[in-house]
Amino acid sequence: MLELLIQNNIVCHAVEAMLFASIACAILGVIITQIQISSIGFTMAHAAFAGAAVGMFLSINAMVTAIIAGVCVAFLIGPLSDKARVSPDTALGLLFGISMAVAIFFIAYMQTLGRGFSAMGLLFGDVISLYREEIYLLAIISVVAVVFVVLLYKEITGIIFNKKIAESVGIRVKPVYYAMLFVIALTVALCLPIIGGLLLYVWLVTPAAIALQFCYRLSAMFVVAPLVAAAISISGALAGLEYSLPVAPLTAVLFSVVFIVAVLLSPKRRVTFRKS
Amino acid sequence: MTMGEEGPIIEIRGVYTAYEGADRPTLQDVSLTIRRGEYVVIGGPNGAGKTTLLETINGMLPITHGDAVVCGHHVRGDGIQVRCRVGYLLQNFSFDPLTPFTVGEVVMMGRFGKIGLFRKPGQEDHEAVARALSLLGIGDLADRPIGQLSGGQQQKVLLAQNLARDPDILLLDEPFSNLDMFARESINALLTRLVAQGVTVVIVSHAFDDLPDRTVRVVVMQEGRIVLDRECAPGLVEQVIRGCGGSTANA
Repeated sequence: MLELLIQNNIVCHAVEAMLFASIACAILGVIITQIQISSIGFTMAHAAFAGAAVGMFLSINAMVTAIIAGVCVAFLIGPLSDKARVSPDTALGLLFGISMAVAIFFIAYMQTLGRGFSAMGLLFGDVISLYREEIYLLAIISVVAVVFVVLLYKEITGIIFNKKIAESVGIRVKPVYYAMLFVIALTVALCLPIIGGLLLYVWLVTPAAIALQFCYRLSAMFVVAPLVAAAISISGALAGLEYSLPVAPLTAVLFSVVFIVAVLLSPKRRVTFRKS
Repeated sequence: MTMGEEGPIIEIRGVYTAYEGADRPTLQDVSLTIRRGEYVVIGGPNGAGKTTLLETINGMLPITHGDAVVCGHHVRGDGIQVRCRVGYLLQNFSFDPLTPFTVGEVVMMGRFGKIGLFRKPGQEDHEAVARALSLLGIGDLADRPIGQLSGGQQQKVLLAQNLARDPDILLLDEPFSNLDMFARESINALLTRLVAQGVTVVIVSHAFDDLPDRTVRVVVMQEGRIVLDRECAPGLVEQVIRGCGGSTANA
């Protein structure tokens, strides 16, 4: 897609992947940070990890089982949180524990059978060694995330503001809330094996946190967060490839630096006095 | 389905409401009929079921037995339609200073149920928001972040949010909390005006001095049941509620 601008194929793929994945994750990251379910990244990573371990144990495509496990957990978060009367974050914690246990069980069992495992490689992908199909998938995920937020913008903002107030004004809170959790979890499950855990966790939280330092409106956060994410991610990819540095850690560090600068410059913490 | 002007706008018959896991219903055999344009004050001690009654009327809590018809809709099954026509001000709300919502956005949320899925607010919605802000005298706050307002101003914003959907019924849970005496007076005058225009106001309040200078209907609840339902002259509400054993302490 960006071949006209970037001649080097590896660089081109990396930039495209970073662009699409960062936009999708940063947009959904606004929702994640506002409804305080930042642990969804860890939980989905370990659900996919458990799925991959099961897939390898059964000698079937570990990538497919990783995504299936992620989708299953995505379906469970909302209903589990409601039925068990626990916060979504607690539901995520429960699912994290189960996923971790399943993954460790199968990995340990395979080792006793003398079978090594390479699930780690599947789950902690590398943005500089991607197939074109994977980039297309990231582009589709990015479009789905944008369309989802645009179509249900009113309902999403209402739920983020306050679920009870949203219900009282006539918003169908439960189906929209479940759909939100599902789209977030599905995005994480699909992005994780392609771009890896480190960047994913950073994209889900840091761009939204940076945007919050400057934005007084949620609508502005939905624009600023993906722009910031895309700009920093592409800079990180280009710098990493230019100077032969590891792209994901370099980009993660860049995000952290920008966040610290944003906190220091945030007008929300500035106290001004006007002497009349 | 719509109601005639003279028919009851709220009709509750033998309703029981229970919270999940509770060992007994919070509302027990509650029957209540309220006409359009009535001003009803609900009193009673802590845990009497006053807030539960409000949330049963607007369909936010499940009715386990009995029936409730509000604005012509059966609450069981038509909860969304009911809530599009009923304003509900929740008690004791405050917002984080970093909450990324402006006053205008918060008030617009009051229209979201009416606007419906996949549709954007139109001219009519923006006008309704401007009208609601103006009624509460907070038009100048429209672009301010809600988290930076005082508790009283936030209370006014939430009341404006409810007025923005041009409700047939206003359910108000402690609407005078956080408000200074001037704001209480102006909101009281506003509620009196709305009642005169045919809006039904059902209010849970312990600030009896702030009730309107007119005869109101007083409903007293105890242990999930209605123990008194009568008209009450101005200035006598507190006396009536105390007289039937209902504490006036904050619920």
